[in-house]
Amino acid sequence: MARGSSQSQASSSSTSRPGVVAPRGSAAATAGMRRRRLTVGSAASGAGSVSSGSGSNMLRFYTDDAPGLKISPTVVLVMSLCFIGFVTALHVFGKLYRSKSGAGA
Amino acid sequence: MGGGFRVLHLVRPFLSFLPEVQSADRKVPFREKVIYTVISLFIFLVCSQLPLYGIHSTTGADPFYWMRVILASNRGTVMELGITPIVTSGLVMQLLAGSKIIEVDNSVREDRALLNGAQKLLGILIAVGEAVAYVLSGMYGSVSQLGVGNAILIIIQLCFAGIIVICLDELLQKGYGLGSGISLFIATNICENIIWKAFSPTTINSGRGAEFEGAVIALFHLLITRTDKVRALREAFYRQNLPNVTNLLATVLIFLIVIYFQGFRVVLPVRSKNARGQQGSYPIKLFYTSNMPIILQSALVSNLYFISQLLYRKYSGNFFVNLLGKWKESEYSGGQFIPVGGLAYYVTAPASLADMAANPFHALFYLVFMLSACALFSKTWIEVSGSSAKDVAKQLKEQQMVMPGHRDSNLQKELNRYIPTAAAFGGMCIGALTVLADFMGAIGSGTGILLAVTIIYQYFETFEKERASELGFFGF
Repeated sequence: MARGSSQSQASSSSTSRPGVVAPRGSAAATAGMRRRRLTVGSAASGAGSVSSGSGSNMLRFYTDDAPGLKISPTVVLVMSLCFIGFVTALHVFGKLYRSKSGAGA
Repeated sequence: MGGGFRVLHLVRPFLSFLPEVQSADRKVPFREKVIYTVISLFIFLVCSQLPLYGIHSTTGADPFYWMRVILASNRGTVMELGITPIVTSGLVMQLLAGSKIIEVDNSVREDRALLNGAQKLLGILIAVGEAVAYVLSGMYGSVSQLGVGNAILIIIQLCFAGIIVICLDELLQKGYGLGSGISLFIATNICENIIWKAFSPTTINSGRGAEFEGAVIALFHLLITRTDKVRALREAFYRQNLPNVTNLLATVLIFLIVIYFQGFRVVLPVRSKNARGQQGSYPIKLFYTSNMPIILQSALVSNLYFISQLLYRKYSGNFFVNLLGKWKESEYSGGQFIPVGGLAYYVTAPASLADMAANPFHALFYLVFMLSACALFSKTWIEVSGSSAKDVAKQLKEQQMVMPGHRDSNLQKELNRYIPTAAAFGGMCIGALTVLADFMGAIGSGTGILLAVTIIYQYFETFEKERASELGFFGF
């Protein structure tokens, strides 16, 4: 569990402050949820310059693990494609149905 | 903190129903990240072209016109709601947590999970609510016209699209993709808009024969077909109602200026306390809060527009309503209401330089409003988002970093010299650039361009860092 947590920490900070090299998970893991954005951890790891914390963290939520209906990323993509297919099918059937009923009337 | 009633716990029963993308249990390679990002983008693009099934019409005034740019939504398509649910719920939760209305202990795992769950739940609820409101308010034709079955179908489509956006965003953020879904979608939407305005092959008949909508295409078309080349050039550069070449050049110019300013920063040297010789730097960017000020500012203005329009349509005679804003249908974009008086008019950018000269007070008011709003929002945002001097000092202390030549207690004071200034001044610069873009008539509104550029810049940084972290991989 701890591993999962630190993993998500690392990944989130690498996404949030665009692409700062993933900091030492242990160092960042203790930091608070919003604070971990300031990835000074990588300064310690000798990465040289670190970008400062950007304020645009509003645009990133859902970075931590939470109990819930676990789905894998592939499922998300497949689900979206199915949805697109579904709506397209609706359009097609709608057209067919309408033309048929139009012809019948 | 223990015991007592906490709002956050209300979410707990729903937690097990919320979809949740697994975190990556390994390091996702760069190439895979790019693939995930591209597929998500593709899904988003398809969704924002796919028309909703069952809608009757999308004519009539569009009250959300002003928000569409920043909300990545497209009218009449499955992405009608765009990222509205996600952004709104995120904003609300952050503000609630930041202002301590709901108590969140960030060091407790369960609290973080609950907060995330609450955000997601609120996002889905907002999606449902908005979908129902859209259908009932007759955006797609009245309910009796649509039929109950179709109305329900529309609501289901919109809700599901909302859930998909939430999932895609989560997917990208959990380390499978680059950056965040929301910024990716916003930037794509704006860039699509710019490219379309530049190269659109649609012809529009405007009394002087057919004209191409796209600025570049129109330029060549006019140059080839017209006999008087000088007049053709002038026409291509200065035509009023359609995107012209000047607009395009202004857009490019703003792009370059913003990228130039992105590099401005104050670098504070920091040193590790326990590992000797480890030097680092803590740069404070000029755009410390990045694009947040304009997101907040445009959210404010769009809400003002929305309320003002609603009121004006109902009670157009009322003095106070008129003070808030007077609206008129625009001649160009069909059915679009534009503000012509009241507060709403004064916070809108003047349409052109000529307009500005004709009404200098409006221009001045707009300028002052933009600058002060952006500076103010920027300063507020560092407090809310936890990137103020105090938080940064605490963070540095946790990492055992000190500034050479300063005592520990001095750290916050030292940071305080830079951060609020950077935030306020950076916010003002962002505001000024937005105004400049608006005055020059850049395509896709100043706000849109600024958002797009800052996001794209962040993406470039991501790319660079990802590449650097995977040495030897230069496939892309």
